[in-house]
Amino acid sequence: MADLAANTLSRRAFDQAWPPAALLIGLLVVWELACRALEIAPYILPAPSAIWLAVTTNSAALAFHTGITMFEAVTGFVIGSALGAVLGTGFAYSRFLERGFLPFIIAANTIPVVAIAPIIIIWFGHGMASKVAVTAFLSFFPLALNMMKGLQSYDRVVMDVFHIAAATPWQRFWKMRLPGALPYVFVGLKLNVTFSVIGAIVAEFVQADRGLGFVVMTAYRSMAMPRLWAAMLISALMGILFFLVIAALERLFVRWHASVDETR
Amino acid sequence: MVEVSNLSLVYGRGERRVQALDAIDLTIPGGSLVSLIGPSGCGKSTLLRVLGDLLEPTSGKVEINGRTPRAVRLERKTGFVFQEPALLEWRNILHNIALPLELRGVDRAEREAKAQDLIRLVGLEGFEAAHPRQLSGGMRQRAAIARALSTSPDILLLDEPFGALDQITRDRLNMELARIHEVTGLTVVLVTHSIREAVLLSDRIVVMTPRPGRISRVVDNDLPRPRSLDSRTHPAFEALVRLGNSELEKGYANG
Repeated sequence: MADLAANTLSRRAFDQAWPPAALLIGLLVVWELACRALEIAPYILPAPSAIWLAVTTNSAALAFHTGITMFEAVTGFVIGSALGAVLGTGFAYSRFLERGFLPFIIAANTIPVVAIAPIIIIWFGHGMASKVAVTAFLSFFPLALNMMKGLQSYDRVVMDVFHIAAATPWQRFWKMRLPGALPYVFVGLKLNVTFSVIGAIVAEFVQADRGLGFVVMTAYRSMAMPRLWAAMLISALMGILFFLVIAALERLFVRWHASVDETR
Repeated sequence: MVEVSNLSLVYGRGERRVQALDAIDLTIPGGSLVSLIGPSGCGKSTLLRVLGDLLEPTSGKVEINGRTPRAVRLERKTGFVFQEPALLEWRNILHNIALPLELRGVDRAEREAKAQDLIRLVGLEGFEAAHPRQLSGGMRQRAAIARALSTSPDILLLDEPFGALDQITRDRLNMELARIHEVTGLTVVLVTHSIREAVLLSDRIVVMTPRPGRISRVVDNDLPRPRSLDSRTHPAFEALVRLGNSELEKGYANG
């Protein structure tokens, strides 16, 4: 029985995974063949083999820069999401906070990150702290808004059930409003985690001596296009990896919700 | 024993002022099942919500076994079933039923044993681990009834609990409620739109009229117990339904 369930599960994972995998392999083959047959200049479009060569010949350095960016993105994501969760909870519980702060938060969110990154770097210095701060700035808004919406979306009759059971406000939060908000929370976290990679790399563009953004800038200046492509693809993979981690956590915590119905 | 005296409740003020309940006097003997029936706007749900301390009356007095509705609720001696089951989607049926005990701080083994007994009482054996989404509307409402009984309440209040169910499910749950009332000896107050449901289940039928919400007549129902769906073929059944209907029509005529 358990074997059967595990089999159907891996079967389903396989069914989901093979179309994009086949497409990716096809794309790489066509790309490689096109670069060779049409003799496309490497600075316009390097062949996959050239990009792979750039990865393998620089693997130690790329691993170092990847680690730096990953650390900045994860730390910024955690700080930004924590601030977003606290602020969103405040908004959900206080109309005064919501009315007073929300317009400014929305206004701050419309500031282009490339415009505010230099200011944050002046404030937080030239080290990793400023990159973390830019990432946190970018990745707190989606969770703040979704946390607020999620906590406000409870069912009035369920609230009556808790009232009849003489539940404390604390119990209402932990056993009703927060669990009910989780589908929204994960929407916010998925947005945050994508923004976190963008935030870290944009901050490194502005000023850095390490990280994938730094690799992109230096490769661009020396026209080392395979290296630039390698850094870009690694940052994309990083974003996908982060997203998958959050999606896995969502499956674990929000199995009950229709949007992650395991029977579909 | 529930004693309601001179109870009034007013919503809003000025031009929007609505007299939802006007000088209600009502006695509900301990252990009896009483139905509140009447057209919408007659205040039957409002009265029920006052008994459950979900609404505060504007004036008047309510006592349940000599205590206020608030005191009874804070002791977790109020059971309330709403029209929607209002179960927590992320909890399985067992943990939904055990929720009020969990909120009271009863330890895990004890509350789960109690929930298991209630699952048997409402006929949900085998669905302990199911989530609400996987159950039919009737089964979800059974779980809601079990949850309301979990803290061993002094009074069970039901607000049109079967209104959203099909006729056959409704008949079956009516019989479940009759059986639960008979085995537990609880005082039950049932708000319903259906005179046949009221006659089938209750010891006493309270007919209400709207604008302002008042009691127009209290009908004693001495159909023999235990009740079953066959009670509907008893000669007194149709007579009581006719009596109730004619009383109800007065309310509709006034509205």
